[in-house]
Amino acid sequence: MVSIRTVNLTKVFGDVVAVDHVSLEIRHGEFFTLLGPSGCGKTTFLRTIAGLEMADEGRIYFDDQDITDMPAHLRGTGMVFQNYALWPHMNVFDNIAYGLKIRKVPKEEIRRRVKEVLKLVKLEGMENRTPHQLSGGQQQRVALARALVINPRVLLFDEPLSNLDAKLRVEMRAELRRLQRELGITAIYVTHDQEEAMSISDRIAVMNRGRIMQVGTPKEIYKNPKNEFVAKFIGQGTFILGEVVTYGEELEVRLESGKVVKAVPSHPDVRLEVGDKALIMIRPESFTLEPGKGYNEFEVEVYHISFLGDSQMLQASNEVENFIIEVDPDLEINVGQKLKVYAPPKHTLAVKL
Amino acid sequence: MGQAAGLSKLLRKIRWEMDAFSWSQLIIVLASFTAFLIVPLGLVVVRSFYSSSGGFSFYWLQTILTDPFYFPLRLKLLNRFPFISLEGIRGSLYEVVKYQTAGGEETIVLLTGWDMGVIPNSLVVATFTTLFSTVLGFTLAFIFAKYRFPGSEVLRIVSLIPLLSTPFVGAIGLKKMIVADGVLNVLFYDMLHLLPFKIEITGLPAVILVQTLLFYPIVMLNSYTALISVDPTLEEQAINMGASGFRLFRTVTLPLATPGVEAGALLVFILSLEDLGTPIVFKGTTAEKVLTFQIFNRIFTPAGLISQEATTLAMILLVISGLVFVGVRRYVSLKKYAMLSKGGTWRPKRRKLSPVVTLLVYIFILGVLFFATLPHIGVTLLAFAKQWGPTLLPSSFTLDNFIAVLSDEEASRCIMNSLVYSSIATLFMVVLGVSAAYLVSRKKSLPGIGALDLLVTIPIAVPGIAVATGLFLTYLGTPLSPTISGAPLLIASYTVRKIPFTVRAVFSGLEQTDKTLDEVAWTVGASRTRTFFSIVMPMILLNVLAGGMLSFIYSMSEVSTGIVVGDANHRDAPMTWKMYDMLFHGLAGGTFQPAALGFLLMTLQFIFIVGANLLLRKRATALIGV
Repeated sequence: MVSIRTVNLTKVFGDVVAVDHVSLEIRHGEFFTLLGPSGCGKTTFLRTIAGLEMADEGRIYFDDQDITDMPAHLRGTGMVFQNYALWPHMNVFDNIAYGLKIRKVPKEEIRRRVKEVLKLVKLEGMENRTPHQLSGGQQQRVALARALVINPRVLLFDEPLSNLDAKLRVEMRAELRRLQRELGITAIYVTHDQEEAMSISDRIAVMNRGRIMQVGTPKEIYKNPKNEFVAKFIGQGTFILGEVVTYGEELEVRLESGKVVKAVPSHPDVRLEVGDKALIMIRPESFTLEPGKGYNEFEVEVYHISFLGDSQMLQASNEVENFIIEVDPDLEINVGQKLKVYAPPKHTLAVKL
Repeated sequence: MGQAAGLSKLLRKIRWEMDAFSWSQLIIVLASFTAFLIVPLGLVVVRSFYSSSGGFSFYWLQTILTDPFYFPLRLKLLNRFPFISLEGIRGSLYEVVKYQTAGGEETIVLLTGWDMGVIPNSLVVATFTTLFSTVLGFTLAFIFAKYRFPGSEVLRIVSLIPLLSTPFVGAIGLKKMIVADGVLNVLFYDMLHLLPFKIEITGLPAVILVQTLLFYPIVMLNSYTALISVDPTLEEQAINMGASGFRLFRTVTLPLATPGVEAGALLVFILSLEDLGTPIVFKGTTAEKVLTFQIFNRIFTPAGLISQEATTLAMILLVISGLVFVGVRRYVSLKKYAMLSKGGTWRPKRRKLSPVVTLLVYIFILGVLFFATLPHIGVTLLAFAKQWGPTLLPSSFTLDNFIAVLSDEEASRCIMNSLVYSSIATLFMVVLGVSAAYLVSRKKSLPGIGALDLLVTIPIAVPGIAVATGLFLTYLGTPLSPTISGAPLLIASYTVRKIPFTVRAVFSGLEQTDKTLDEVAWTVGASRTRTFFSIVMPMILLNVLAGGMLSFIYSMSEVSTGIVVGDANHRDAPMTWKMYDMLFHGLAGGTFQPAALGFLLMTLQFIFIVGANLLLRKRATALIGV
């Protein structure tokens, strides 16, 4: 179990800066996720940690050891790839035992440890299958077992669940987390799926164009986005452009429609000034149909209703702005209906632009 | 960032990518190619600019270009307009010979073609061979790719038979067919009376005919792969927008297939240019007046000297092939085959033909196949013939030719020599070829890897006779001298000349193997060396095997170096030299015994090529296509 630290890590492909001066600290035993749209550099970052790509600038530390120039095979990482990368010419046992054979572990112990790890990933008795005899989920478990069996210092996951179907993905998610926690191995996980990131991680780093946009717990990232990118990338919300008119004890923003709303800075680090452009963000579930003291009030007309079972999502507008509002699934409502909705100031976030 | 920073980054990159194992792979490849390809070819170029006293001079180049034997075309200024004088061109397209026979007067039309001098002849032959091969190859490919009719698969495979052709075999066989008292005249003049006179194709036209029939499958295979790799929805979209018939073909189908066709055509051009076997078989006619034959004839004097004239001719041949090769690289990346072999995942749409059109197609294809398989039929008949006068078939059959060949001490020694040299060369080719293919496939980001790729594919474009000349220039008088033993140079020459087959087969295997399979091995602790042997090699084993088999069989049938070295030292000569020797200096047996040798070689080639293709199955198209 190690902590991982990168300092100004940079990787350039031709004219593209895939990873741009990234400094991160990943703690002992932490489940850390890199989340971002495709092409944001998250996989490249992971591959650089694994030693599969050479860092063009910056340093990488495992605990206090500088491993920036260490070859991949000496780093002691266990990596699980998106395509599983099982060796087709070996059966399940040989795939998993490969790393142990390299470490010259005695035969008997190899047998025992492979058996153990297969049990851990719930594939007992599958030793003699070849990879193409396995389902996608099973292949994924073999890949995981192969990474786990060598007792890696760090586990690296490159979108490991993206080739599985939706139901299996949810199951595997929980299982990955359980295993990682039981074994206490530091893990870095790469995904473009924010729901997956939210449900699995201790902390998330949101990446865009090679840069880290925000690091925080899933809750922080959702509730307190630091900037426009994170606010729009994570979850849904109503976004309205405005200008700060009061900043001090209270924060007031004048929207383009002329309406003035009370708000709070989206993140404790966000500093605004009067005259700044700001983006007002309200999460769908922050809206109520009941007025409260000091609540911001909006009058909207519903133009689309999505019934989701446990809730209903309303898409509505007031001619200038569009709203996404979550309401009780039992509420009787029709397209074209006019509504008054309210948002408490503490959930009316002003994102700095 | 200054230059120094850029340089240190580059050095760091190289250190990162290259471990001791990669370095050793790179070094053995570079060392072998330097010693047996670069230096020899360099010497060919350098020596052709030596004067007899040793200094730099254009003497030989000038001598050759002003000698009407080599280059009779003259630029003349007349009325201030430059024009090319055709005075130097001799001969005519055909000659009519009449002679008396017992049954009256007989007329023979000899298709001889003009003699334009050695250098233009070579280019004209290559141009026509390319033109005919392309038309023939593409037409066949188009029919097979687009239409469905009974037996089309069988016919398609049969039409690839000329790929099995071994040196001399095709030409010997075909010669028996097209001479005045050959099978075709017997069939069409004497028996069927379809011709008003006998036709004999000889000289350069015969070379063009033989080469066309030998090389059209290369264009066909490339075109076929290109055509079936075209996504059918692209054509459907065009049809949807109102295109049909010839317009569809011209605007959509042809442009999409063009890279494949061009690649095949340019390869044929080079192969025609460097072909030595065919001109040798038609020795004694104008077929002699091509570059390869002239070099061969002059290269080595019994006194152990290399002719300067031959060296300069080799340089000219080298330059021409080099220019054509640059053309190939420019138009179509040689790597295209990797992409093409991945394509074709969809089922190509094939249209059914109406009965009348089917009949026409059959007539056309069977006609082509009749001519294309003539050499093989001819050589097989010759190999088993006891006597063969001016009749359709030999008058009696026998196995004596094989017995004679195999009991001939020199012949069996030459067969043994060929087997040994080719086996050793194959070992080298596998080691070097796998190394080169691995570096090219897996270290793409390293600067200079493109050059390595070029180095190991370029032997395709280097005429064998130029390599032979270079090897003689470099190693005469050294311990590797062919006058001491032919073995080292033959093995070296086979290795560098035939390595592209191994490299391509292995490279296509590597490209189809996901790089993450290597990477995951590193992450669990395997060094690059260990990964190479325990992960990469097992996965590409079939490709290595198939590539090795092809390299082996093409080594067995190598002509240029074989007969030059063989002439210098009969004891160590390979099989191809023996065939040459028997054809022209042989006493008894005439063409029967060389045909028997050819038949043996053809059989061996058949087994190996079919074997390699079975091993690779779908990937097989990667092997012949450029």
